[in-house]
Amino acid sequence: MKKIVCLVAGLAAGLMVTVGAHAQQCTNDVWNKVMSRGKVVVGVKADYKPWGYRDSSGAIVGMEIDMAQDVADTLGVELEVVAVQSSNRMQFLEQGKIDLMIATMSDRADRREIVGIVGPNYYTSGTNIMSPKALGLTAWEDLRDKPVCGKQGAFYNQIVEERYGAQIVAFTGNAEAKQALRDKKCIAWVYDDSSIVSDLSSGEYDEFEMPLASEDDNPWGLAVPKAEENCVFGRFMSGMQYSWHRSGRLIELEAKWGIQPTEYLKTQAERHGDWLAN
Amino acid sequence: MDTRRGIAGVDRPALTDLPVLKPVDRRAGAHDPLMVTRWLAGLPAWLPLLLIGGALVWSTVAFAQSDYGYDDATRALWRWVPFLFVSGFLFNILISVLSMSIGTVAGAALGLAQISPNSGIRWLAWTATQMFRNSPWLVILFIVLLAFPFEIVIGDLIISIPDWMKAVFGLSLPIMANISEIVRGAVNSVPTAQWEAAESLSFNRRQILWQIILPQCYKRMLPPWMNWYAILTMATPLCSLLGVEELITLSRQAMEGENNHPELLVPFYTFALVLFFLYCYPIARFTMFLERRYAVKL
Repeated sequence: MKKIVCLVAGLAAGLMVTVGAHAQQCTNDVWNKVMSRGKVVVGVKADYKPWGYRDSSGAIVGMEIDMAQDVADTLGVELEVVAVQSSNRMQFLEQGKIDLMIATMSDRADRREIVGIVGPNYYTSGTNIMSPKALGLTAWEDLRDKPVCGKQGAFYNQIVEERYGAQIVAFTGNAEAKQALRDKKCIAWVYDDSSIVSDLSSGEYDEFEMPLASEDDNPWGLAVPKAEENCVFGRFMSGMQYSWHRSGRLIELEAKWGIQPTEYLKTQAERHGDWLAN
Repeated sequence: MDTRRGIAGVDRPALTDLPVLKPVDRRAGAHDPLMVTRWLAGLPAWLPLLLIGGALVWSTVAFAQSDYGYDDATRALWRWVPFLFVSGFLFNILISVLSMSIGTVAGAALGLAQISPNSGIRWLAWTATQMFRNSPWLVILFIVLLAFPFEIVIGDLIISIPDWMKAVFGLSLPIMANISEIVRGAVNSVPTAQWEAAESLSFNRRQILWQIILPQCYKRMLPPWMNWYAILTMATPLCSLLGVEELITLSRQAMEGENNHPELLVPFYTFALVLFFLYCYPIARFTMFLERRYAVKL
């Protein structure tokens, strides 16, 4: 009997939720779940140094994990990080496996239809190539009909292919892509400009260069579930990003993780700066 | 009797004048269900040692072409070995053991259904067996991963199904189908005269199967069963394509953590190869030993 009562109560609760969603009101399901559980589950990268990667003990660390820790501390809950990949990160958020996603995702119109990406964007990066100095490439057009190595799941693979007619050879990892570049299987490796700069500055790629002007400068977005976008969770994450910019926390983290200082974070810090501070 | 050198009637002349089976001529390309295992077990016993020794020697030969050489890459590998072994390789073993358990139980049931007196059940079991036996494993894995829910909600109870559990289920399907064929084949390999003899002693069908036929089958099924276990274990890295965090996925993440130097590729993937080889090689040798031991001596 007790079971039947529970079942009926469950069904009724389910019905109420459906009606609520239909009326386009904020139910704040995920927010309430996080608060009642006392734990926020954040999807981060485990294969994108220094944003999210593993140390040799297996723990996931990186700039975005520090950001996730800030979020958990502000909420006053525990943090659990889940490793996601470019191919499954939006699905994980849709399915409710993760409550929040901070996973080096470029903020694109088609992605906004699926997940709730809220501003102001916390970072930006452009697309560029690493190619042998000997080739002396000077323009994106030089890539036409030539094999170009890339990493699977990057949105600009398609752009470079369509706009400049390059033939993208996509690898599962960057180590494989760079090996292919060294083996001369492709004339260039297309990737984020900030990552290429740090590789070139390591001194191990002396015979390579980043010859072109960066393209498609694209802000990165963190995301909450679509239903939470204009509700408490979405608004809260907007506030988090705003205060990160305002306090200069992101510039601090950028320096901590050895990322090349970007113009974007500087201008954002100025733009959101406190007018009474000076 | 010399049981070490091949199987009488198969690899060497029969011991009797009245062999009831024709010898298998492997050189003529006769079907050999243990082909993979036989090849693996046929490798000399010093090869694993050579492999490890070679990897060690190779790592000390530093042919640095830039600042970051193979010696750096090997040192990086050593830092990761405990994590990759415990969180990666042992997880592959766990996946293989669970898949094998599920596949064996389901496969035994399906195999017995294939010899059911009811033609409807027989046909259904045959169809299921052929379908999963002849589909690419990766395709089955993708279907299971994408078609199954990530959690089951029963009232207030939420049972979440992690990806690796789906992978276990996905891998157990082809194993089930192949075990099904092994069971069917083993039962059919017992001479029909035994069924008739048992029936004349008024055993019913269930008694004949459980008390007379199947006890003779276990020995015949063991080598091919172990053969499939070795194949399954070697197939577990497929799960890395689905994002399951096993050895290969974690090796990739480890290489990312070490700045993606291309020099890391050879040491890390060699490490994975050595691990799988060290695990599967003894299984293959033992399988071949059991096959010789249990072979019907003609």
